[in-house]
Amino acid sequence: MSQKNSLPAVFLTPAMGILAVLALVPTAYAIYISFQNRELSRPDGSLVGFANYIDLFSDRRFINAIGVSLTWEAVTVGMTLLIAVGLGILLFECVSPRTRNLLALLFLVPVILPRVSAAFVWKFAFHPLYGIATYPYKAITGQPLDLLSNPATALATVALVDVWQWGLFFAVIVLKLLETLPPQPFEAAKLDHARTWEIYAFIALPMLKAPLISLAFVKMIESLRAFDLIYVMTRGGPGIATETLDMYAFSQGFIESGRISYASSMAVLMMIATSIAFTFIWKRVQ
Amino acid sequence: MTAHTLGRLVGRLILGLAAFSAVFPMFWTALNAFKNRVDIVTPTPLFLFEPTLDNFAYVLGRESVFAGLVNSLLISGAAVLIGAVLGLPAAYAIARYPNRWSRDIQFFVLSLRFLPPVAIAIPLMVIWLDFGFYDTRLSMIVTYLLLTLATIIWLSVPAFARVPKEVEEAARVDGYGPYAIFFLIALPIALRSLIGAVAFAFVLVWNEFLIALMLTTSDAKTLPIVASELTQLGRDVPWGILNASVVLLSIPPLLFIGVLSGMLNSAFKRKTQ
Repeated sequence: MSQKNSLPAVFLTPAMGILAVLALVPTAYAIYISFQNRELSRPDGSLVGFANYIDLFSDRRFINAIGVSLTWEAVTVGMTLLIAVGLGILLFECVSPRTRNLLALLFLVPVILPRVSAAFVWKFAFHPLYGIATYPYKAITGQPLDLLSNPATALATVALVDVWQWGLFFAVIVLKLLETLPPQPFEAAKLDHARTWEIYAFIALPMLKAPLISLAFVKMIESLRAFDLIYVMTRGGPGIATETLDMYAFSQGFIESGRISYASSMAVLMMIATSIAFTFIWKRVQ
Repeated sequence: MTAHTLGRLVGRLILGLAAFSAVFPMFWTALNAFKNRVDIVTPTPLFLFEPTLDNFAYVLGRESVFAGLVNSLLISGAAVLIGAVLGLPAAYAIARYPNRWSRDIQFFVLSLRFLPPVAIAIPLMVIWLDFGFYDTRLSMIVTYLLLTLATIIWLSVPAFARVPKEVEEAARVDGYGPYAIFFLIALPIALRSLIGAVAFAFVLVWNEFLIALMLTTSDAKTLPIVASELTQLGRDVPWGILNASVVLLSIPPLLFIGVLSGMLNSAFKRKTQ
């Protein structure tokens, strides 16, 4: 494979060139706009330096959005992994290979659905009057249950949909990972009368530490894309209870005032924070 | 009954509930799509009702839905096609001709996934407005190309790496040049996994929402945007129509479930061998 030929250059250059242009131009432009005071109604802005960034730190909605986003990341990543490991082990332990494959296929359905569909399906299921998920509560207590309009439960309800999509999908991946493990350590542990949970807690899961960390990493990246679910289910409401950073940037840039420079400065901060965090984690994972 | 069999029984029960939760919501939505409004707006959920096709007829007859469908097919199709034509050769070059930049290239491709979509969408909106391409299919295809190209490269590198090197060596001995080896040997052998990668990219852009929401207003609106607009309707909500449009939006990705599950299986088979 060491002989000189033109193939690598011919095959790589167009793709990498396009990716570089498509990624770097908007990134550079986002930074440029963030130093202006551009608005949608006024296309010509002037440079204002760091004014947008300084404003952000006295903006209580921005601070709130950081909190919501961090809560969202922690809850969805944690719950997804918990459910994935739990269901993955049950799939491996409790059912025959044939049932296992059927269940694995069914578990893929939620994640393949467009997020807009998933969001609507559950928004309707949680409808206080006609929803099928809230029906048992209504039938027993006689009171309607409105989870999405209650600031205390709205974020958790949206997070449930995200965990529904990703937890079941990752359960299938955990199952596949368990299937790749050599059987000898399991048999040895059984001979030593280890209990089932001990086998998983002390043997199987430590053996899968590296891929499980990678899964957490993937989920952290995917959890940044909460926008679709939140937009359809709550639009950041009630109030600002479910307003994540991307939702707030969107409403600043589009819905309320069209302050694209201000929204851009938020986007740039998000970009910097995620790039630093993920580059750091990626180097550690490798 | 021993504790062990009881544990298995509970485990199966939990799995059954999980599988039920995976498919029932979509099944219920599909059921609602065949109901008249009076059968949806009931105090008790109805399983038996007189089915109607009115909702689907209405949705498919609506110009906005039809236009969204055409836009989605054209935009996703073109972005995936161009992404595959450029991305598959690039992935092959990364897999088979490693050089000192290979790791950096792979990290760059992955790092595109870290970019918050909102951070891409805001500047792109301004750029497309300035160029006069805002709300066109062309600008959507170019923007989505970033997603499809990166995804296809990322998923195809391992697929090409799994092609046995001996086969390519044998072809070289037989006098095949590097390009002939790619087109006639590597591509056909890796085809199954590559189809999975391309299908995944299609599902990704078909389902994409935030960028489409910011970059289109009327002409180039994709189906997720049209569907979400329907779901935001006011008080007198036409629930049956909403359910029908959500079903329509979800059918194409669900068609690929077999391909994607096959890709998952082959991705993990490598480690056992």
